[in-house]
Amino acid sequence: MGDLFAWLLFFFILIGLVVMVVYQLICLADLEFDYINPYDSASRINKMVLPEFITQGVLCLLYLMTGHWFMSLLCVPYLYYNVTLYMRKQHLIDVTEIFNLLSWEKKQRLFKLGYLVLLLFISLFWTIYSALEDDEHTF
Amino acid sequence: MKTMGTENADHANFPQRPAASPFASSSQSTTPFLSSGPVVGSEAFAFRPAPPNAPQTTPSAPQTTRPYLASGLMVGSEASGPTPQFFSTAQAPPPRTSPPGQPVFPPPIRAPAGHVPSPPVYLHPQPQISYGLMGSPPQSINYVPSGRNVLPPSSDSLFSAPRSTLQPLQSAFPGYSSKPSNVVTQPTPVQSTPVFSHQGGYGPPPPATSTPFLAHQRGYVPPPPVATPPAVYSREQMQHQGSGLPMGAVQGLTEDFSSLSLASVPGSLDPGLDSKVLPRPLDGDVKPKSVSEMYPLNCNSRYLRLTTSAIPNSQSLTSRWHLPLGAVVCPLAEAPDGEEVPIVNFATTGIIRCRRCRAYVNPYVTFTDGGRKFRCNICALLNDVPGDYFAQLDASGARIDLNERPELTKGSVDFIAPAEYMVRPPMPPLYFFVIDVSISAVGSGMLEVVAQTIKSCLDRLPGFPRTQIGFITFDNSIHFYNMKSSLTQPQMMVVSDLDDIFVPLPDDLLVNLSESRSVVDAFLDSLPSMFQDNVNVESAFGPAIKAAFMVMNQRGGKMLIFQNTLPSLGVGRLRLRGDDFRVYGTDKEHTLRIPEDPFYKQMAADCTKYQIAVNVYALSDKYTDIASLGTLAKYTGGQINYYQSFQSSIHKEKLRHELARDLTRETAWESVLRIRCGKGVRFTSYHGNFMLRSTDLIALPAVDCDKAYAMQMSLEETLLTTPTVYFQVALLYTSSSGERRIRVHTAAAPVVSDLGEMYRQADTGAIISLFCRLAIEKTLSYKLEEARSLIQQRIVKAFREYRNLYAVQHRLGGKMIYPEPLKFLPLYGLALCKSIPLRGGYADAQLDERCAAGHTMMTLPVKNLLKLLYPNLVRVDEYLRQASSKLDEFNISRLPVTAESLDSRGLYIYDDGLRFVIWFGKMLPPDIAMSLLGEDFATDFSRVLNLLCYLEGYCSGSQLSA
Repeated sequence: MGDLFAWLLFFFILIGLVVMVVYQLICLADLEFDYINPYDSASRINKMVLPEFITQGVLCLLYLMTGHWFMSLLCVPYLYYNVTLYMRKQHLIDVTEIFNLLSWEKKQRLFKLGYLVLLLFISLFWTIYSALEDDEHTF
Repeated sequence: MKTMGTENADHANFPQRPAASPFASSSQSTTPFLSSGPVVGSEAFAFRPAPPNAPQTTPSAPQTTRPYLASGLMVGSEASGPTPQFFSTAQAPPPRTSPPGQPVFPPPIRAPAGHVPSPPVYLHPQPQISYGLMGSPPQSINYVPSGRNVLPPSSDSLFSAPRSTLQPLQSAFPGYSSKPSNVVTQPTPVQSTPVFSHQGGYGPPPPATSTPFLAHQRGYVPPPPVATPPAVYSREQMQHQGSGLPMGAVQGLTEDFSSLSLASVPGSLDPGLDSKVLPRPLDGDVKPKSVSEMYPLNCNSRYLRLTTSAIPNSQSLTSRWHLPLGAVVCPLAEAPDGEEVPIVNFATTGIIRCRRCRAYVNPYVTFTDGGRKFRCNICALLNDVPGDYFAQLDASGARIDLNERPELTKGSVDFIAPAEYMVRPPMPPLYFFVIDVSISAVGSGMLEVVAQTIKSCLDRLPGFPRTQIGFITFDNSIHFYNMKSSLTQPQMMVVSDLDDIFVPLPDDLLVNLSESRSVVDAFLDSLPSMFQDNVNVESAFGPAIKAAFMVMNQRGGKMLIFQNTLPSLGVGRLRLRGDDFRVYGTDKEHTLRIPEDPFYKQMAADCTKYQIAVNVYALSDKYTDIASLGTLAKYTGGQINYYQSFQSSIHKEKLRHELARDLTRETAWESVLRIRCGKGVRFTSYHGNFMLRSTDLIALPAVDCDKAYAMQMSLEETLLTTPTVYFQVALLYTSSSGERRIRVHTAAAPVVSDLGEMYRQADTGAIISLFCRLAIEKTLSYKLEEARSLIQQRIVKAFREYRNLYAVQHRLGGKMIYPEPLKFLPLYGLALCKSIPLRGGYADAQLDERCAAGHTMMTLPVKNLLKLLYPNLVRVDEYLRQASSKLDEFNISRLPVTAESLDSRGLYIYDDGLRFVIWFGKMLPPDIAMSLLGEDFATDFSRVLNLLCYLEGYCSGSQLSA
């Protein structure tokens, strides 16, 4: 039963991550089509960056603590990338160069999104799987 | 202003790059080509005696440690008479230690086949191209080998021969005949200019000309000792090449050139090239004529210049145009009298624009349907003509009121913008001064000069009577000044809490100049004396800017910062960087050229948001981290003025002139700029000092006539079907008089399908301007070498492409061909590579100097940039000899900037648009020197400055007419 709750927790954390990344993507897209100015766009995105990084780190740690080392391993590249960005102080969007970096920032977030969606599907699978398994045990 | 007498010829610059060859004692022949000295100084270098310790016994191969040495070769040569022999020997001589009797030329480099001029055999097949480029008669390739064979195979006699051939040359330079310097260095004067022409003697031998643009490839590979087996040699050579340039690039270029084979004339002993016939841009910037004739309604080229006036019709054509495709825009360029931009007021109708693409009405729109509709020339949409703007069409289809409508007859107009183009009432011109008053600022005399200059300019500030003004001074605390008009003396308020800045009296710090004039005058009078005993060494730069920002952010305006030390307190404090030599030349080098503290970028972004332009005057004698300070100017549309080790006795006039110009030139405020172009073409990247507010909207808190912006375009569709592409630059701004205006420049360019036509319609000035910006931007994230090779490779590719176009029809022989408009492109490209931001390695320009020059060159309009790259050189002693009344006929003729032009009996002025250098010939008749400098002419240069002020008028007059 504990396993099921753990998978559900992972699932919702992943949903949260996806929402954060999509929000950043929307801000970038809005900027590209001139719906918001670069200052607002950059400050909105930058507000989201650290929470995203921290949530992702926590997720990775939770996987490890609950003994799902394979999932944890899957998260490590993402975590590593975030950490290097942070160490190089490139994690925040530079408002002065935002238009030159726009395509790169979008691409980077699209990749993250794809990655997260993959994790989400795996999590979903395991949630259902452990729910069914629990079911079997009860009988 | 920098005066350079022959006296200061003592700091010879020698390449100190670690050399991996046994010839580390590089020969002095490299000296003149060092990019290390200031470009200006290089002429002087050429004449400088080499240090006497130059080893005469080891005329080792001229080790061209400097990247651009070799590229100097490409532009010209005047190898006269016997020099070739000398140099050919000097290039690959064995060290004296080699056993006598050993064959001197078992030439490892040379083709084993002796003098068979088959290019591929040479390790440097490139020479062919440079010969042709110089327009010389086909050069004999086997000339050098044959010359060598004449020489006796003993190394001793080998060396004696060159010396003897050199003697006549020495005697040609009387000033040096007495010098005890060695043979190798002697010919340096002969080798004309480092920068532009080149070392005569080095010209002819293939290795010399081998790398027209590939300078870092080490044109001269140091030859190994003769005893070295060829295999070892080649490996060593590879190493050398590799150290200079990524290997791939070298090979790529080699292939580029290998397709061009040179038909040599066997047995020809043509000594080489005549530097006199080389193209030199003595007329300054030549603007392209043909298109303005084809499209007389275009705006003047001073406002908008395309890199080529023939737009390619397909992407495949674009990819064969190896030069940048784009435009350089200088929206507020100064117009000569009588050509001012007409002002149009559509008071009743509103500004006529295309419904879809928002282009403004211009001479190229066509009226149809009896004048009731007009077709937008940019997007081809049919728009209705508003009723008030309607006019009948005459028989030819032109509007009958055409002559009363400047917007339909002129390429450049100013529209008066109605209220919907404003987000707030037009702001008044606003100048806010942030002045460092720490000990070095007072000690160098900066404070006094600045106060005097500001005071003298108060009457000429634009926008009277609305102009507003304010001051902050700072050292380790921030001083605000209350200048309320009711006061008689300014009140000073000191804020020393740097972590939590607050603005006392937010209302009276910025005052109307005409109302508070007497207070401002009193303040400026007392400013130097107020701080003359200040011993504070700290600088709270960041907090001071923050405070100024808080004062200004209601209105916007121009912030002028005078900074004399490295910011050391509060936010934005900076540390000394760049003193670690190990960083240079590595992948981390570029980090020294970008701001260290994010505070500066954030501050710049905030300033732009609130319409504040920042101009930075950096006057330190120590490192001030221009890379960081410059960011403030870069993203706010401002500029950097850098005075290396400012001393008021030397730099006073320069600072005064530049500050006065900054304060009094016509300035446009709170502006945005957008460039529109026809379908199928799109502007993709923008380069200059500004901030992008959206993908194609340039935000410029302040613009003036000395700022230009470059942009690159790309083709969207595969094929352009329209015969003409139109470009429209629109600058929405507030004039100093308080009117909201839109300046619109429209230009048309034909679409072509012929590559040759693109090259023939090219504009060297615009190309170089774009190259300059691209390269400087590249130095912010890559090494300097890569920025230079960007320019070189693209120029080489372009010429190769052009040559390929005609190689079949014409028997080109060994000649390099170029279209007339690109005549000066290699020269300017070379000058660009030797300009301060791009030249050499770490020792060749100080970090601050490099960054400051880079920021300046990112803003300069085409004409000023070209002048900076190829300065005016004028001989003045003859004019001085004449009576002063004749000075009115002071007819300035520009000389080529070569060492040849410098006669040691003359007095020269070198003018690159930013400074004057006076060159005193060594043999200058004493009466002239005496009359200029007085008896004691080693020390007193004050009279020279007076002379310069006197001449300034003449020189600038001639520039205008040029």
